[in-house]
Parts: sequence; C-alpha cells; structure tokens
Amino acid sequence: MNDTLVGTVPISATAARHPPGDLAIWVFILAELLAFGVFFAVYAIVRMGHVELFDAMQPNLDRNAGAINTVLLLAASWGVARAVAAIERGRQAISGRWLGFAILCGFGFLVVKAFEYAAKFRAGINLATNDFYMFYLSLTFFHFMHVILGLAILIGVWAKTRAGGYSAADHHGMETGAAYWHMVDLVWIILFPLVYVMR
Amino acid sequence: MQYKSQAVAKPYFVAALALFVAQILFGLVMGLQYVVGDFLFPAIPFNVARMVHTNALIVWLLMGFMGAAYYLVPEESETELHSPKLAIALFWIFLVAAGLTVVGYLTVPYATLAKMTGNDLLPTMGREFLEQPLLTKVGIVVVALAFLFNISMTILKGRKTAINTVLLIGLWGLAIMFLFSFYNPDNVVKDKFYWWWVVHLWVEGVWELILGSILAFVLIKITGVDREVIEKWLYVIITLTLVTGIIGTGHHYYWIGTPEYWQIWGSIFSALEPIPFFAMTLFAFNMVNRRRREHPNKAATLWALGTGVMSFLGAGVWGFLHTLAPVNFYTHGTQITAAHGHMAFYGAYVMVVLTIISYAMPLMRGRAANSNKAQVVEMWGFWLMTVSIVFITLFLTGAGILQVWLQRISDNPMPFMVAQEQANLFYWMREWTGVAFLVGLVVYLASFFIKGEEKATA
Amino acid sequence: MNAKRLDAVFAFLIAATGVTWFVGESGSAGPAAVSLILGLAGVKGWLVIREFMLLRHASTLWNLVVGGWLAFVLAMIATTYWKALP
Repeated sequence: MNDTLVGTVPISATAARHPPGDLAIWVFILAELLAFGVFFAVYAIVRMGHVELFDAMQPNLDRNAGAINTVLLLAASWGVARAVAAIERGRQAISGRWLGFAILCGFGFLVVKAFEYAAKFRAGINLATNDFYMFYLSLTFFHFMHVILGLAILIGVWAKTRAGGYSAADHHGMETGAAYWHMVDLVWIILFPLVYVMR
Repeated sequence: MQYKSQAVAKPYFVAALALFVAQILFGLVMGLQYVVGDFLFPAIPFNVARMVHTNALIVWLLMGFMGAAYYLVPEESETELHSPKLAIALFWIFLVAAGLTVVGYLTVPYATLAKMTGNDLLPTMGREFLEQPLLTKVGIVVVALAFLFNISMTILKGRKTAINTVLLIGLWGLAIMFLFSFYNPDNVVKDKFYWWWVVHLWVEGVWELILGSILAFVLIKITGVDREVIEKWLYVIITLTLVTGIIGTGHHYYWIGTPEYWQIWGSIFSALEPIPFFAMTLFAFNMVNRRRREHPNKAATLWALGTGVMSFLGAGVWGFLHTLAPVNFYTHGTQITAAHGHMAFYGAYVMVVLTIISYAMPLMRGRAANSNKAQVVEMWGFWLMTVSIVFITLFLTGAGILQVWLQRISDNPMPFMVAQEQANLFYWMREWTGVAFLVGLVVYLASFFIKGEEKATA
Repeated sequence: MNAKRLDAVFAFLIAATGVTWFVGESGSAGPAAVSLILGLAGVKGWLVIREFMLLRHASTLWNLVVGGWLAFVLAMIATTYWKALP
C-alpha cells in the first residue's frame, strides 16, 4: 500500500523513513536486539571452549517442544501481521479476531514452555548444574519474560481493537505493539537452532 | 512557582549545597593524604575523611532528591503539598541527625561511637557507605517514611502523571532497599550479597528512576515539548534501566563466593547498562532541539544537557570499561573503580540535583530566571566543575591502569604500597584538579548572590 | 499489503521450521547441517523483518541496522562453530 507513496515523498523525508510503529518502540526493540545479540554471542563463545559438554548435554533438550513453540510463535506473528493488514482496510472485527488468534498462540507457547521447564526441574537441573544448562535456562527464561511482556501488549491492543479504538486511518498503536511482538518472534528464530539443534 | 508549598524545597536545596561544600573539602583532605600520608594525622585519619566524604555525598544527594520531590510533586499533581509543616520539621530532624553523625565520626573513635549508639543491640555498622550508627539509620528510615507519606498523599489526592509516578516508585524503592542495611548475616558472602542490594540497587536502579523523572520534569518546563512525547521516552528509559540495572547487580558477584553463573549474567546485563544512559543523552538533546519556547533560564538547560552527556560518560562508558568479568579480574578494586565512581556520581546525580536547583531556585526567589550576569557566572561554575571532574577521572584512570599493570599483570608484580608510590604523579595532578573543582564550586555558589532578574520572554 | 503474501511467508516459515526440526531429530551434526539451519534461520529472520515488521517500507538505513544485527549474530555463531571444529 505504501509502495505507491514512495515516489511522492521528498528526499529529505525518505532519509528518515521509520518502520511502522512508534519511534520509541523501535529504540526499545534495537536495545532488546542488542541484549539478545550479546547473549547469543556469549553463548557461542563459551560453547567454543566447552564443545564436548554442550554436545553431550544438548540431546537432553526437548526438541519437539522447541519446534512446536517455534510454530506457535510464528503463527502468532502471522496473526498479528494479518490483524494489521485487516485494520488497514478498516476491518475492525476481523482484525480483532486475528489478534485473538495470536494471543492464544502466545499462551500456547507459555504452556509448552512451562511443561518443558517442569520436566527439567524435576530432573534436578538448575542454573548451577553446568554451563550448558545455565545458558539454556537463562536464555530461554529471558525470552520467556519477553513473551509475557509481548502478550500483555497484544492483549492491550486487542482490547482497544475490540472497543473500536483503531481504524484504517489511525492504527499507530497496533503497529507499535505488532513491531514488539515480531521482535520476540525474531529472537526465537535464532535461539531455537542455536540452543536446541546446532551441534 | 505555582503552588505556595513548593517553597519548602528551598531549605533542602540550601542545606544540600552546604553539605556539597563539606564533601569537597573532605575530598581534598583525602586527596592530599594519598600523597602526604600523615596530613592532619591523628586528627582526621584517612578512613574518617573518606567516611565523611562519601556519607556527605549521599546525604546531600538525598537532601536534593527530597527538595526536588517537594518542588516537583505539587506542580505535577496540581495541588498543594499534603503537609508543608511536616516537610519543614523533617528537614530539621534530618539535618541535625546528619550533623550529629558527622560530629560523631570526627570527635570519637569509630569503635567508641559504635558502643555509644547501641551497635551491640543490632550490629549494622562498619560496612562501607553504610557506616552510620544504628540511631542515624533508624532516623533515616523514620524521615524517609514520613517524607514518603507526605509525597504519596499529595500525589494520591492530585493528578497522576508519568513523572510523579516514576518519581514515587523511585523514592519508595530507595526507602525499601535501604532496609537491607539492617540485615547483617554472619556469612561474609551473604553479607556482601545483600550489601549490594542497598548500594547497587540504589545507584544503578531506583536512583535512576528519580534521575529520569527530575530530568523529564525540567525538560518539559524549559523546552515546552509535549508531555506525551517526554513521558513516552521516560517509560522507555526506566524500563531499560530496570532490566539492565537489576540483573546487572551480578557484576558485583564475580569474586565474592557466589555461583559462577553470575560472571555471565553480570557481564551481559551490566554491559547493557550504558544503553538507558545513552537513551537519556539522546532524549535530553532531542527535546532541547525540538523546543517550542526559549526559556530565559539558559543555565538550567545547560545543566540538563550536561546531565545527559556526563551520566553517559561516567556511569555508562567508565562503568563499561571494567564491568566485564575477564577485565574486572584485573581491575577489581583499583583506582579505575574510583575514577568511575567520581564521574558517575557527578555526571548522574550531582548534575541532576544541580539541574533542578538551577531551574527551581530562581522561581522560588520570585523570578523566571536569574539575570544574565548571574547565569554567566553559574555557567562558569558548570564548566569549571565539569572539566575538573573529567580530568580527575582521567588522572585516576591513569593511576588505575598503572596500578593494574605494576601490581597485577607484570612479570614481577609489585606490592600494593610500592605500586601506589609509582602513581604519585597522577595523585598530585588529581589533587590540583580537585582544587580547581573547589574553585568552580565557589564560583557556582557566588552566582546565587548576583542580583537582578530576567523577565520571561516566552 | 495483501493477505496472500503474508500467508505465503507464513507457509515458508513453517516449512523451514520443519526442516530445522528434522535436522535436530535426526541428530545431524557437522558443517553441512549447521550451514543449513543457520542459513534457514537467516532467511526466516529476514522474512520476519521485511514482511512482518514491514521494514521493506522503511529507509535503507533501518534495513541495514536490523538486517546487520541478524547477519552479525549469525556470522558470530558460525565463526565460533567453525573455530571449535576438531
């Protein structure tokens, strides 16, 4: 929809063309990406020094749970993207339903993760078990907290959508919430192969 | 000044500045004792001078925060303070308690002071920065609770804004974290572990909320930028602060006997602590560039911008320098820590208190801004103090690098005192720069006595 | 933007996740398997950035910053993986 607009935008404005959503959330997203990026880099570097340990421990992770969770997060992102697409055409009810779908998927992620954690804790695993589990628990829990925050934002956006708070002309707030949620998804797309699969 | 009760901030600001002078004087005494070891011995030994230097800093910043709260909260809440009388009474109680504590430090040996003040009932003394006698600590809690009651009641009955809400959370956090100063486990690891809950979670946690809200308040006033915009940035900044700051406590848990994973957690999250400070710098400059009015108080604008820059440099950059565990392994507890401490405290907390004083004092004295002449003198004070602290930091960093090299890295490591002697030149230069800082402070204070006023032009 | 495009992106993301899962479940190790899953992660990430976060509507600078993050993280992971190979 914006593609046709590009030609008409003056050059000085294109230089600062921000992605959809509030600039403040994008500053926040960049900070979050930096935090996760540093975390991933440290994981990779520590793994380099303890390859045997990491390779020996990794098969104990529940890859099925990880893959299901990837699908749930992707589906939630898809739902959020469709919700934004719907509101751009002024379809409030449809937009609200897509958001509801996304929120359900997000909660599904939390439930699967809770079972995964429960199994690990039952096995007596904690932060001090070894470096691999320390990273597994830290990284996934840090991400888990972000899913919760992302869900809180989505629920707020969903409630406002249902109350008719967004329209084709004004859905800045929904785009802002959507951008944050996609960031949570983006980070998991790297986390899953890195921690669960790469060996 | 829109509300009469805002005026209670004035004695707080005056007392804060007086204690600031005391802090600097004792700093100079200590600085000289670095190079002339027996200076003023036995009257004021080094450990006592250090205690007064650091405690005076904390108390005057608290005075400044309270003054800021009394000034800012009525205006934000659009209502008079719940009880101005209580605020004045608390001022005197706090001032007298602080004064008596300093007299105690200076006149009797620390052990005697401990005995006199009932430390054997509940031992809380003897820990760095929390040296205060039990009575003083209890006094601080009582004053803090009464102060919070006063502020909370005011906000509850008035308008709730992001600024006064964040300030209130910061102030409550400050009081609650201080309670850990009463908890002294026998286990040395636990002792240190919880000690940081006061020290770290103050300066790298709840104090930053106070800093953010004071800065946001002043920026709204001097730039006229929409409250909505400024409050949005405030939310982003405090969220980043809390996430990085709370888990960043781990950078104190590397070598005290806590589990190894703190080296990873502490390194990662504290490495990110500069981000909120960087956001604050961008925030300050952005808002001033987008200003919709020319406020006559140029000096306050300068202080606000200075806070943005210097807090990022001092707390952010100089903190990052030695926060990663593999680096800290060599630099722990050296002059590099002292360098960071000086610029961080000045850049973040000293400057934000001076910002609100610079903005609020003229208004409380019945004018929009001081005369141009007074502002020029104030700005001279700003530059002298700021440039001095930069050089103090650089000299201490030099001393620290030398110390790490000679004492910890080289093939034939020197003993502590021998390595210290090698850094003498740096310590001398630091002391002279300290004198320049004092000159700057005197110039700054002199600006308050220059008459005249600037009419509001906006 | 049209819904079909979003649906197609989603379908690809799910398929790619299936491949990554299969690599993991079959216990595949070594440079070939890792190149595949890191490559897929890169493509998936880029699709989320461009199509969901809608950076294709933003300036080149924004695309460079966020895309650069993705590239940097993956390069970092790949480099450490290769250096640790026996």
